[in-house]
Amino acid sequence: MASILGAGIGAFAMGVTVLLNEAGIFVAPTVYAPAGGVSGRTTLATIVWLIAWGLMHNRWKAREIAPRRIYLATVTLIALGILATFPPLWGLL
Amino acid sequence: MLFSDRSIWTMVHGIGLGGAALMGLAAALFYLYAGRMSDGPGGSPTASRALAGVTVFTAAMLWLAVLVGTYIIFPPYRATPPPGVTDLSQFPRSLVLANPNTAWLHAFAMESKEHMPWIASMLATAVAFISVRYRSRVLDDASLRNMAIILLAISFTLVAFVSLMGVFVNKVAPLQ
Repeated sequence: MASILGAGIGAFAMGVTVLLNEAGIFVAPTVYAPAGGVSGRTTLATIVWLIAWGLMHNRWKAREIAPRRIYLATVTLIALGILATFPPLWGLL
Repeated sequence: MLFSDRSIWTMVHGIGLGGAALMGLAAALFYLYAGRMSDGPGGSPTASRALAGVTVFTAAMLWLAVLVGTYIIFPPYRATPPPGVTDLSQFPRSLVLANPNTAWLHAFAMESKEHMPWIASMLATAVAFISVRYRSRVLDDASLRNMAIILLAISFTLVAFVSLMGVFVNKVAPLQ
């Protein structure tokens, strides 16, 4: 369950970093200058994904988690994350 | 040389790694879907080992594709031409943005390719992890199997979409 919800959180984090960047609210630091800002945004989202996964894994490893709510949350987060990385949406900002 | 280094890396990224990822995703999806059709337990050790293998392979291909794309191919794509340069063929981003008819190739196609594949990689990794950790339970547990199918289907859709966008970009403004 942790890996599944973690992937949802990672997808959502990717969308958030992109939206914040496009809105000019927060620009992730560039990790590799030739690649530009995408290197920072993707690195940040990947870090959020791995931390979320790790934290939930440690918290849940001895427990049996009811899957339905996790699945719904995961799909919702993924949908929002993908939507936020869709360029036409940025024009609405 | 017949192909430049940049051109070879583009082929490795798109056809090699991206193609392998698409095939792996399709294979894993079919494997999981075929498991829905059986009434009894589908999780023999061989079956679950095969599923784990294909999902781990797919996740690895996806991560390699996004890393090669972001750190090897994207920099020359987005390089800024020096002042006074009129031949933009070595500067793909500037080339497509210079023409209103092709500007969408960067503003939509390449911008989509920058972030969506990373999401696909995360989803595929989640499925690979549960396939390795839970083995036959992924095939036996209907809700877990369906969730794996959903994640892989989303990943496949994203990868297919960005692959198509990459074909379009490379057709008009190839890395040479």
